[in-house]
Amino acid sequence: MSNIVWLIPLFPLLGTLLNALFGRWIDRKAHWVAVPALGCSFLLSCAVFLKVWQGETFTGDLFPWIQAGSFRTSVTALVDPLSAVMLLVVTGVGFLIHVYSVGYMHGDPGYARFFTYLNFFVFSMVMLVLAGNFLVLYVFWEAVGLCSYLLIGFWYTRRSAADAGKKAFIVNRVGDFGFGLGVMYLWVALGTLDYGEVFARIGALSPTTATVIALLLFMGACGKSAQLPLHTWLPDAMEGPTPVSALIHAATMVTAGVYMVARSHALFERSGVALDVVAWVGGITALFAATIALAQTDIKRVLAYSTISQLGYMFAGVGVGAYAAAIFHLVTHAFFKALLFLGAGSVIHAQAGEQDLRKMGGLAPRMMATTVTFLVGAAGLAGLPPFAGFFSKDEILASSYHRGPLALWALLLIGAFLTAVYVFRVVFLAFFGAPRMPKEVAQHVHESPLVMTVPLGVLALLTAVAGAVGIPSAHGMAFARFVSPVFPLPEGVDHGGLSAYALLVLSVVAATAGVLLAWLVYRGRPVRAEAIGRPRNRLHALVLNKYYVDELYDAVFVRPTLRAAGFCARTLDLGVVDGAVNGVGRLVVGWARSMRALQTGYVMNYAMATLAGAVAIVGFLLWR
Amino acid sequence: MDAAVRPVAPLLVVAGTAFLLLVLDLLPPRGTKRHLGVVALAGVVAALLVTVVLWGREARAFSGMVVLDGFALFFDVVICYAAALVLLLSMDYCGRHGIESGEYYVLVLFSTLGMMLMAHAADLILIFLALELMSLSLYVLAGFFRWRLTGGESAMKYFLLGAFASGFFVYGVALIYGATGSTALERIAAAAGARPPGPLLVVGLGLLLVGFGFKISSVPFHMWAPDVYEGAPTSVAALIATGSKAAGFAALLRVLLSTFKVVQPDWTALLWGVAVLTMTVGNVVAIAQSNVKRMLAYSSVAHVGYVLVGVVAGGALGAGGVLFYLLVYTFTTVGAFGVILLLERGRQEAVNLDDYGGLAESHPVLALVLALFLLSLTGMPPTAGFAGKFYLFGAAVRSGYIWLAVIAVLNSAVAAYYYLRVIVYMYMRDREGVPTGAVPSFAGRLALGIALWGVLQLGVMPAPVLNLAQAAVAPLLR
Amino acid sequence: MALGVFLIVAIVAVASALALVLRRNPIHGALFLVVNLGCVAVLYLLLGAEFLALAQVIIYAGAIMVLFVFAIMVLIPGKEETGPDPLRSQRLMAVPLGLFLLLEIALVLWGSRSGGGVGGAASLPQVGVRAGGIESVGRLLLGDYLFAFEVTSILLLAALVGVLTLAKRKSE
Repeated sequence: MSNIVWLIPLFPLLGTLLNALFGRWIDRKAHWVAVPALGCSFLLSCAVFLKVWQGETFTGDLFPWIQAGSFRTSVTALVDPLSAVMLLVVTGVGFLIHVYSVGYMHGDPGYARFFTYLNFFVFSMVMLVLAGNFLVLYVFWEAVGLCSYLLIGFWYTRRSAADAGKKAFIVNRVGDFGFGLGVMYLWVALGTLDYGEVFARIGALSPTTATVIALLLFMGACGKSAQLPLHTWLPDAMEGPTPVSALIHAATMVTAGVYMVARSHALFERSGVALDVVAWVGGITALFAATIALAQTDIKRVLAYSTISQLGYMFAGVGVGAYAAAIFHLVTHAFFKALLFLGAGSVIHAQAGEQDLRKMGGLAPRMMATTVTFLVGAAGLAGLPPFAGFFSKDEILASSYHRGPLALWALLLIGAFLTAVYVFRVVFLAFFGAPRMPKEVAQHVHESPLVMTVPLGVLALLTAVAGAVGIPSAHGMAFARFVSPVFPLPEGVDHGGLSAYALLVLSVVAATAGVLLAWLVYRGRPVRAEAIGRPRNRLHALVLNKYYVDELYDAVFVRPTLRAAGFCARTLDLGVVDGAVNGVGRLVVGWARSMRALQTGYVMNYAMATLAGAVAIVGFLLWR
Repeated sequence: MDAAVRPVAPLLVVAGTAFLLLVLDLLPPRGTKRHLGVVALAGVVAALLVTVVLWGREARAFSGMVVLDGFALFFDVVICYAAALVLLLSMDYCGRHGIESGEYYVLVLFSTLGMMLMAHAADLILIFLALELMSLSLYVLAGFFRWRLTGGESAMKYFLLGAFASGFFVYGVALIYGATGSTALERIAAAAGARPPGPLLVVGLGLLLVGFGFKISSVPFHMWAPDVYEGAPTSVAALIATGSKAAGFAALLRVLLSTFKVVQPDWTALLWGVAVLTMTVGNVVAIAQSNVKRMLAYSSVAHVGYVLVGVVAGGALGAGGVLFYLLVYTFTTVGAFGVILLLERGRQEAVNLDDYGGLAESHPVLALVLALFLLSLTGMPPTAGFAGKFYLFGAAVRSGYIWLAVIAVLNSAVAAYYYLRVIVYMYMRDREGVPTGAVPSFAGRLALGIALWGVLQLGVMPAPVLNLAQAAVAPLLR
Repeated sequence: MALGVFLIVAIVAVASALALVLRRNPIHGALFLVVNLGCVAVLYLLLGAEFLALAQVIIYAGAIMVLFVFAIMVLIPGKEETGPDPLRSQRLMAVPLGLFLLLEIALVLWGSRSGGGVGGAASLPQVGVRAGGIESVGRLLLGDYLFAFEVTSILLLAALVGVLTLAKRKSE
């Protein structure tokens, strides 16, 4: 197994190198390198998955990486059921999206560059999932962040794209700062970063230390998985090409935070408090983002907020200890959210780049394949049975009801209702009703090529059938049994209250009610384009403007920082630092003087600083 | 090889090559001086090979004035790499700018000789002479541009301030001699260890630190650096930024670790403050620069601060980390200067940020290489800069200097801003400013290739070299 | 007797050094430098270092000073530094800073005199009465300090090459 495991990241890496070095010559044929590379990785992942299915696990070093005194770290891979599932998702969905990109990016001047980044992303993500210790995890955590930054700013000539890339980068730095500190603290506390050793020795940590470390790590997860309060970058990240939004900003990278928390669940459990924080952040984000998604008019932004909301569900699941359910939701979400994004991409492609819901409508007759698959995805997201999302979301809802506070469950249930509303709002606005686009665009609306619709079909199929492994049974669901080596099966305690069956019915009712409401508002009567997206009342304005979080950050963090930087550059540096030597403002006047006089002054300045330094050093040593 | 000469064998090779160049300069062909560069390079490479042959030996010669140990040899390697890369870049650069001459190569070799001697010296007088040999050659090299007004002025400035700092250094040597009756490092250590240290010794050390501080350009002795880097030929700036700093740290570490162990609490506390000041001032001021050479100058000041973190941390981890970081820093900085240098065309310099707009389109390979060097300066994995910083800050944490490590990490985060800004300009801006049409020569490409190899090799597999570095400092810590 | 001579010579040396810095006319400054160097030579003599004293007189007071005077005559004949000081505030800073450093060093010396320990003046090595004599200097230079001596010659060679380079480029 060891040979196969290392080959999985190797193929995308080779693809990256080939396209990076010879991209200029490969150019239009870049997909002949990138797509087969990922295909190989996917097949190998399947092979690894089968072995894990049979009960094998694997831990192995590639090479010793850093040795410093007692600190030793190797590039280690760990393959267990959890990473096997993640591998399948990353390479499988990744492969489909690569195929889709061949059609979507056709004719883009940066074709080879696009596939270089995309391959590199898959490589990094595979390594992140395979990582056997926190340091390797951290390194590739940063690497996927870099890919995300490069891909968001892929169309760098658009100012908004460059800005969005920058924003994603900066917001993620905030989270990663905490993550880095957490990894360091973990090393200081335990002297090792290896998963196995850390979790084996977790009892040695005091709960307080565990809480601090866990919360620092969770800060990183918040940044990467766009949870409150670090969620602002993800909607802007939609500036990137749609396949990127589907792969990185919906299906895989943003789930890294969930994966990380689930992977280190022993640490979070040791703390206890940290687990509650995770649950509440997840629950509040789930509802918060769902309300914003209700009012957005850009199709991709609706989906982006939906992603944030769904990630909130996963965190809520992890927070109440339902790890298997959370990871299961991660998997099904990867399917239906990738499907929805690719469907949206197909719609955008058909309308020459139009993303505004107000200018769509009536697409269904012209693009049957896209409509049908999008409907499947929407049903999956809304949690309608028998689609995959129903089983996974229900599992999280049930767990939160049984193991979490009632308020959390209520948040999630309302969120589920809103989810159904906003996703069907998109469906009705985009595909049904009268066309609202300009005449010339309307004439060109066409179904996308096969290379794009086939991945849509495959994903739709997965969304439809993947729920099967999550059907609850007497021994827990099949998925939970598979990952039970990592996440022990919960004991079947019944807390009384509503039975599992009643909960199931309740969530179906919530979802159906949501769909009905959307139908009443957007289908029951004719839609006036100008009425959508205009604030009707205070509440609507608040939601439409995303609760003014961006404006708040701008006012509280961005502006003061810029002002402080300007102050440092102008006043502190020129005025105070130089001024202490030269008299405030003298230097500025001095600029205007002749070169010669200025230069003489400078040497004296520097000599004076040297003298002052000497006085300070001697004084310090003398009076110490 | 004669036992008496063995400790200075690498130095002799460099010195001999310099003398040979002086003679060759008078012989035909007189039109071009390119062959002199090749000879100089061959000399440096030969010195590097001699170093490898001598690896693992320990010896002393000339009444104990010169030592051969792992520490000196490691620095020989760092300095020889710096010199060789600078020579390669010079062959590309000097020809284009019309400053190619025999004297240029001779002076580069002389300064290299001075640098290596600083690593080998075990006597304060010899350290001073080596320092002057290195500096004197660099003063002249810094003023090699006759057509550029700033060139002459910056060289003059460098010279005056250097002399000023040397004064402090010599005064410090005198005080230490007064306190212990010797200038030999071993005897100073013995005398200092015999009785509790008096103020004379400590103040003498303080004045030495002023002199060293100037050479490694730590705050507040850093102010010459930006002006000199800007005015000097870019190849010389690269040598000043890497070789002379490495040499300064070589002598500084040897003096501090082997001789002034008695007063370690004193100088650690002092250098703690200097380290914090140096990296903070360097990074903060670098943000405000729009001239890339000046930005690199301030960034190199900041990196001195990081290295001082390792000096403060001490021990095999800290001191070994310093050696490792200096090697990493040499590759990275020479590489970054190299790209800037290759983009200079005729008398038009590409030194403003605007000149880098859209570089990724016009020179994709150069842009990628520069981006990698900048990422290494930022300290991003998988480049060597990450590994280097990791060891330095890790050593600080290990020795209990948590706050110092936190400040250093925060500083690295600040630094990311101005390094990434260049990358953003290269990849996300349109082309404007001076049009540059550089096609690097073979020598230039070779230099960049070696530097890039170093940055990646040390970044992906740092452990073997780090072990060498830690073994190299072991003799000093005994 | 020796103390009386020392005091007189020391006072003259300090006074001439001050005058060197304070005089505006460079020629006057150069002449005060000669006085200062001569005083230092006398101090060497008092310490029994004849060779150093002679070398000081011949090389510094003689050869180098002649060079200084020539250079001043050629470059700025008879011209005093005039006009307002462009960086007056710096001068005001320099005085206290310099005094401060002086104070610090004085404290060190005073402290070490009373303190003993390493760095106490009491521990000054006894290098023999004729430490500055020709013989001992010769032995040191060609014995223990042979290597430093050789490095000095390379240093001078480097300086020579550097000066030639600068001069050549000026003349072109």
